[in-house]
Amino acid sequence: MEKTLQEIRERVLRNIEEARASSSLEQIRVGILGKKGELTGILRGMGKLPPEERPKMGQMVNDVRAALEAKLAERAAELAEKEKAARLAEEAIDVTLPGPERAAGSLHPMNIALSRMVEIFVGMGYEVVEGPEVEYDHYNFELLNLPKNHPARDAQDTFYVDDNIVLRTHTSPVQARIMTTRKPPIRIVCPGRVYRADEADATHSPVFHQMEGLVIDENITMGDLKGTLDEFARQMFGEGIRTRFRPSFFPFTEPSAEVDLTCANCRGKGVLPLAKLSQAEPGMATSQIKDLGGATCGCRMCKGTGWIEVLGAGMVNPKVLEMCGIDSHKYSGFAFGMGVERMTLLKYNIPNLRYLYENDLRFLTQYR
Amino acid sequence: MKVPMKWLKEYVDVNMTAEEYAARMVMTGTGVEGIDRTGDQFDKVVVGMVVSCVPHPNSDHLHVCMVDVGGEEPIQIVCGAPNVRAGMRVAAALDGAHLPGGKIKKGKLRGELSCGMLCSGPELDVPAGLYPHIGDEGILEIFEDVAPGTDVKEVFGLGDDVVDFEILANRPDCLSVWGLARESSAVLEEHFVMPEIAVEETGEGCFDDYAKVQVQDDALCPRYCARVVTDVKIGPSPKWMREYLYGAGVRPINNIVDITNFVMLETGHPMHAFDLSKVKEQTIVVRRARPGEHLVTLDGKEHVLDETMLVIADNENATGLAGIMGGEESEIVGDTASVLFECAAFERANNRVTARKLGIRTESSGRFEKGVCPATAMEALNRACMLVNMLECGRVVPGAFDHYPNPARPVEIDASVRRICRRIGVDVPAEDMEDILNRLYIDTTVAGDSLHCEIPAFRQDMEGEADISEEVLRMYGYDHIPSTLMNAVTMPGFRGARAVFEDRVKAALVGMDLYEVLNYSFISPKWVENLGLPEDDARRSAVVIRNPLGEDTSVMRTTLVPSMLYTVANNLNRGNAEGRLFELSKVFLPAAKPGDLPEEKHALCLAVFGEDADFYTLKNVVVGLFAKFGVTAQIEAAGDGYYHPGRKAVMRAGGVRLAALGEIHPDIAEKFDLNRRVYLAEIDLDALMPLEKDFYGIKPLPKFPAVSRDIALVVDETVGAGTMMDCIREVAAKTLEDVKLFDIYRGDKLGKGKKSVAYAITLRAADRTLTDEEITGTMNKVLDALRNRFGAELRA
Repeated sequence: MEKTLQEIRERVLRNIEEARASSSLEQIRVGILGKKGELTGILRGMGKLPPEERPKMGQMVNDVRAALEAKLAERAAELAEKEKAARLAEEAIDVTLPGPERAAGSLHPMNIALSRMVEIFVGMGYEVVEGPEVEYDHYNFELLNLPKNHPARDAQDTFYVDDNIVLRTHTSPVQARIMTTRKPPIRIVCPGRVYRADEADATHSPVFHQMEGLVIDENITMGDLKGTLDEFARQMFGEGIRTRFRPSFFPFTEPSAEVDLTCANCRGKGVLPLAKLSQAEPGMATSQIKDLGGATCGCRMCKGTGWIEVLGAGMVNPKVLEMCGIDSHKYSGFAFGMGVERMTLLKYNIPNLRYLYENDLRFLTQYR
Repeated sequence: MKVPMKWLKEYVDVNMTAEEYAARMVMTGTGVEGIDRTGDQFDKVVVGMVVSCVPHPNSDHLHVCMVDVGGEEPIQIVCGAPNVRAGMRVAAALDGAHLPGGKIKKGKLRGELSCGMLCSGPELDVPAGLYPHIGDEGILEIFEDVAPGTDVKEVFGLGDDVVDFEILANRPDCLSVWGLARESSAVLEEHFVMPEIAVEETGEGCFDDYAKVQVQDDALCPRYCARVVTDVKIGPSPKWMREYLYGAGVRPINNIVDITNFVMLETGHPMHAFDLSKVKEQTIVVRRARPGEHLVTLDGKEHVLDETMLVIADNENATGLAGIMGGEESEIVGDTASVLFECAAFERANNRVTARKLGIRTESSGRFEKGVCPATAMEALNRACMLVNMLECGRVVPGAFDHYPNPARPVEIDASVRRICRRIGVDVPAEDMEDILNRLYIDTTVAGDSLHCEIPAFRQDMEGEADISEEVLRMYGYDHIPSTLMNAVTMPGFRGARAVFEDRVKAALVGMDLYEVLNYSFISPKWVENLGLPEDDARRSAVVIRNPLGEDTSVMRTTLVPSMLYTVANNLNRGNAEGRLFELSKVFLPAAKPGDLPEEKHALCLAVFGEDADFYTLKNVVVGLFAKFGVTAQIEAAGDGYYHPGRKAVMRAGGVRLAALGEIHPDIAEKFDLNRRVYLAEIDLDALMPLEKDFYGIKPLPKFPAVSRDIALVVDETVGAGTMMDCIREVAAKTLEDVKLFDIYRGDKLGKGKKSVAYAITLRAADRTLTDEEITGTMNKVLDALRNRFGAELRA
């Protein structure tokens, strides 16, 4: 008996050791410990033994059982671990494989830039106001100190609907409308479409967008205009971008200024390190690089000046205030007008204005 | 306005490079377009003296020359021109020289060394007007006695810097060398020295003996000055004058014409010279044209005039357009013997209107419309006569004609130092203001806070204190403007509700994978025609642009549809085979009353196209958009004729039409060059916005179980599956949680014209578990309703 038990123990232990799958372990367990198992059979047959032998034999059988169960558990854990490892190995995927293409949409880049511009001024306490695009000559020109047949009208080639109605050439008529209907303090920005009779090319479009700003209050100075535009430049293009004011002429402002921004491409230096050439100036012809001799080349974005002309501004002409019914002795103000497309091209490094109105998906999908 | 630096420096000292000078001018308000150097088309070409010239041993037409080019030894140059000879002064291009035709290199010509090239005039691309011998045959001979080795640019009068100024519209006085010299003197703090104008009157008799002038319209011709020159000898003008004119971009012609151009550039006054013998009865009348009067101008074009136009005439006929262009008859020619110089001022707006009407733009008309100062006209005329004296090309007749009935009154401006400082935000001391203004020839005195300024006649732009503040600031320096934020009451920054709503619409569409496009606001009228709208459709009448760039951009769009179709076609043509697009822009509907502004409405148009796109792709976007605003809409098959008759729909909520959508009709697609099916939706934002719910969809989470029942129904093909769903929603409303369509089946077993539609219906009550009776009751009601309304039978 004892010998049989010993033989069973060794054989089964060996079988367990040799088992290669959880399922074969289970077979072994059933074969030895199951209801009809070998060991269970021996236990059942104990009744036939003389009573004094039973405890000893029972102890022996239980020992064998405990040993086998322990071994089974140990081996089961081992096999489970192996099988998991095998399963995980089998589940390995090609992580370099691209995921399914994600559909996406986006705003038009011009509107992305415009939203940002509007947001900056709303943050500075400006109300956003709109006006008609088909506009009376009266608001577009006359109230802005541009009487009929004034040569300064030449600067804005105008589309006419009739003698008195034009497609607005700038967003400034919204200023005139607000000044004639509201009392100061006034603080507004007016974004919108404007029209000029220019053929479309890399830098012109007969339809484009402007954003006008107007502030009327007591004691407004040209310094406030500069401070406001400096803050706009910083938020729109980043730290270190500043404005430069140059004297200019607009009939509706006095003094007037042409405003330049630090060139964001060369950070105002006018030149770029040659190493930056490939990323900064795509598609540039060798002949356009003026200074190839040194370790730098001229910045194409600002033509080497370090500045980029972006907008016109000035102190509202007292004549305009008076024409609009505002007391020019009590109040002063500033106004500015910026081209949204120009800002878009600068902000997103777009080489050609035409891209914006071609609506080619290969261009639009770059902004998602 | 192009100004050679040499010319400018005759009147003001500029002790710096042209670039430095340009930068100073730009920062004080005189724009500079660029700086050119005359004669930039070639370099390294010097005066050479041909020492010897022998035939080339290996050629029957080449010569081997030894040329003294100013070096220690003469150099050998092979030359093919027949006119080359020893003792000739030539233009020699040295080794490494750049010519318009290419680079010159030392080399052998048929075995003989040639260290350069002897040039012909055309090879240097110098205009004949500048150097008279330039057009001669063969190589260029230089007759001036200049030393070999001298740069030929000196001989031709080339090599000067020319600054191209961009003069602002308020400063016509700077459209002249004197004006710019005066402005420069203020900027550079240098003296401006004008030549003393003195005319030697050596002619006989007096003006009235030779000519008669009559000005009939003082308003359109505020000043008219004229003088006569006799014994005129037409010939080339001197080198210095040709050089200045060429630098300024004006072709030198002959001494009299050159004088008028020179004076115009120098003083800003356009002048005209008449051949007096060809002026009928030697009478000049300045009058308005007669209606329908004909005139042939100098350029040979015939014009029909009207009574708003000012003409120069003889006793009978118009001979020229005042201030715009002269007539052919009295042109200066080689044998002109007596000349009448005109220097006048014409009213700017009238001049501009006439020039525009007739489509003529000349240097003269451009100047008059910007404003020519009447006060200095006589000075300019005398400058011209003084030049006649200098050039010895005629005798100036004593006396002048001067019609100047209303001389300009001096303008005086009183300003406050304190107010100016407040305006510009810079504290400029009163004495600095005084100094700046006086430098600008504005006679200024300071007394405490007040400035008293006397404005010179040429500054017609100065009107008030604001103008004074600009003069002060631009000279003091815009770089002194501080960067401050306004010290004012706080105001709320905000955007209108409509703008916020439109942003949400766009965000929703972008979230559904649509790309925003932007199209021009004007389109071709043909595009709308292509939609095949009924005759009386409002979209057919558009705001028309009177002066469009072309027909394609000539009417304001009344609908976004054609531009969207055009955009889709463009993308398809470029190989972008699928896309989802939207545009949110204005459309323009003409006003009912003439003279009123059109109605401008924001419209929204969507388009989807591509392999996987169909009607339902588009419908999903529209329904999804409405859902964003808490709006549920009913759909029915209807819509404009440009949609596919079997694939179009309109959507309404509460009876209000919100959208039209469908596949584009194949006929229309063809007209727009669309080679694929395109699905388009138009959404009325004005109708959608008021339906927007601020809060929607907040229901407590369910506490009781739901039950699902599937039903399959057989109906006629024509019954809308969506309409049946609406019916289920209506009938089972009390306990319906959800209804979904999960199958549509067509087959022989059902019979022709029949389909089976299967729905999964989920019922739930908020406050209890539904009993079997309740469920069966609801389902029976649903089935009865479907049977009664649509003839639907449960599928066996």
